Amino acid sequence: MLTRRTLLLSAGSAALLAPLAACGGSAAPQAPATALPTDATATITMTWWGNDDRANKYKEAIAAFNKKYPKISVQAQFQPFADYWTARNTEAAGGALPDVMQMDISYLRQFANNGQLLDLNSQAGTNLDVTGLDAAILGSGKLEDKLYGVATSTNTLAMFYHPGILDKLGASAPKDGYTWDDYKKSVIDASAAGAKFDPKLYYGGNPGGVLWFFIQWLLQKGVTPFKDDNTLGFGKDEVREWLTMWEPLNATDVKFPSARTEQLKPKGGFTANEVALEASWDNFLSGYVKDSGDDAIKMMPIPSGADGKTHMFYKPSMLLSAGANTKNPDAAAALISFMINDPEVGKIFGTSKGVPATKAQRDAMDIAPGSVDQRVVAYEESVASQVTEASPVPVEGFGAIEAAWLRLAGDYGYDKLTVDQWIDQWFQSVDENVKPA
Amino acid sequence: MSSTAAPPRAGVAKARRRDARIGYAFLSPWLIGFFFLTAGPMVASLVLSFTDYNIFRAPKFIGIDNFTALFSDPRFFQAWRVTLMYVVIAAPLKLFAALLVAQLLALPYKGQGVFRSVFYAPSLIAASVSIALVWRAMFVDDGIVSRVSGLLGLPTEGWVGNPDMTMPMFVLLAIWAFGGPMVIFLAGIKQIPQELYEAADVDGASGFSKWWNITLPMLSPTIFFNSLLEIIHSFMVFGSAFIISNGTGGPAGSTLFYTLYLYQRAFTDLKMGYASAMAWVFFVVIGVLTVIYFRASKAWVFYGDQK
Repeated sequence: MLTRRTLLLSAGSAALLAPLAACGGSAAPQAPATALPTDATATITMTWWGNDDRANKYKEAIAAFNKKYPKISVQAQFQPFADYWTARNTEAAGGALPDVMQMDISYLRQFANNGQLLDLNSQAGTNLDVTGLDAAILGSGKLEDKLYGVATSTNTLAMFYHPGILDKLGASAPKDGYTWDDYKKSVIDASAAGAKFDPKLYYGGNPGGVLWFFIQWLLQKGVTPFKDDNTLGFGKDEVREWLTMWEPLNATDVKFPSARTEQLKPKGGFTANEVALEASWDNFLSGYVKDSGDDAIKMMPIPSGADGKTHMFYKPSMLLSAGANTKNPDAAAALISFMINDPEVGKIFGTSKGVPATKAQRDAMDIAPGSVDQRVVAYEESVASQVTEASPVPVEGFGAIEAAWLRLAGDYGYDKLTVDQWIDQWFQSVDENVKPA
Repeated sequence: MSSTAAPPRAGVAKARRRDARIGYAFLSPWLIGFFFLTAGPMVASLVLSFTDYNIFRAPKFIGIDNFTALFSDPRFFQAWRVTLMYVVIAAPLKLFAALLVAQLLALPYKGQGVFRSVFYAPSLIAASVSIALVWRAMFVDDGIVSRVSGLLGLPTEGWVGNPDMTMPMFVLLAIWAFGGPMVIFLAGIKQIPQELYEAADVDGASGFSKWWNITLPMLSPTIFFNSLLEIIHSFMVFGSAFIISNGTGGPAGSTLFYTLYLYQRAFTDLKMGYASAMAWVFFVVIGVLTVIYFRASKAWVFYGDQK
């Protein structure tokens, strides 16, 4: 499984390593790293996105870090994913990024190319130990050989379902090899059965509004979504085909009401136990189980493309980066190193951020039969043969167009927007944010 | 005489100069704040409004492109729609509530001081983060509002997720904070000379006639002042919108106030040039509306010294 993962990731990071045009940031000359003694005194800031569950895990992990470095105070804060980037942008503008922050592959290029992130190569070998990472996973955090982030884990897409809700709906889980169309049909067929419950129950939501599903679908069609010259490998036609396919799920009696979605925040229909199926990254299982209270949630592969295959990929995720402005690069690197290597941290997070990137942490996980970690690992093993695509490396500006897609999907759910308007407005955002190299 | 008069005059001039210096010295905190924190950034934003600027890379001059782009941006128009609707509905209702309560609090009853404090209190906290959170909690499904409306046999769905009901929610929050203009109205009412009412009583005027012919005209400068302030404040609403919609302007753009959209363009999308252009359009529009309102006020505002 790991050799395959390595192979596929390296294909992806090869694209990432491709020289970028002359838009490199002006990284300040860095002082050589000195090995941090365990009794060093420092105060560093750290931030991540996620829910309360993740916050508690980080708190535990920081406490473990403090056992090794008792005099380093880590001041932590977190936000939901969408607010997270606004807050970081604001800090970046003021040259006040946190010392250590969780980074997403969608935003890595934006922050790195603007000179906001510390090149961690200066710390590798002293305070940052990256020897436990596969070259491919390590490569996913590099741009032009500079190490701007270290992936703590990888994940892949999965279809989650509540068996209990399926029973109530008199429906069953999708069969192996099901297609996006089969999924759509099941949502429509189950709507009548769900209407008699209070609150109403639904088979599934509309996956059209999640950009990564669209990208997965493109891969199934053999389309390469992102090109090396920082342009998209698809146009309006592909987007139209995708959105038109999901139009029937926007009919009032089959769609999960947008107003309900708004009200349930920060939960969703799936974690409020009102929707039976939801596709997402496989590391969500931990959060899903905590938020919904339903330990019976199961996982299966996502829908297949026309050739009957899922064409899945591993996405390097939850990178840790240091702000270029950090006053304590040694302490920041030591914290990152601890987070990716320490077995206890591996045990705390388990698979909640994805399958850990280092073997030391994978081995430390709780793999008792039936545990969340065991289920995620078992899922990844069961789909290993279906993971056939290299990890797509998002273009610079992807974070912005991903956010725009999500917003347009919201307006569409409220029937304030047609598919054509969605396409026009989204490509307007693409023109604005994705500049060809 | 003349020879003895000259030195004191010079002394007065000297003293005046000294007074002026001391005066400016006392003004200096404000002057520094004005030039460095207000005027400077304003000039900078005017310059930036003609550039493409993302904070990180040097601004690139693009002429009036930002301004022309505004007119093909559906969210720009949505932001104007939301903001104008809010100004037109919230400002008058809030003023009406403030005037009504001020009138009641001006009546000579025992314990009015307590009531004045009680009615003023909400305006102190209405702009706070916690109240916006409470407000959101009150209007969700199964929140206090939907339960009460359920008891009254009205629809029981929460307002938060419904794009048609978010505006009323904001208007109610604004009205609830009527304490500020209320206090000013109260002061205005107290200043109306009692003898005007006594003379009207002698003439046998009715209560409403006294209010219409004495209170309202005598209060018109206060009404003008309060309404001008409220209109400008309503244009600038931001905090509550940001918190109630989690910074998104949702659901479906129904809380996309102009300031919120400006913020999104600046700090979420990092289009500082575009956001600066938006800020200047906003500034000019509010400025023009203020001038028009000032001119129009001459027709209905009665100042005591006018004949």
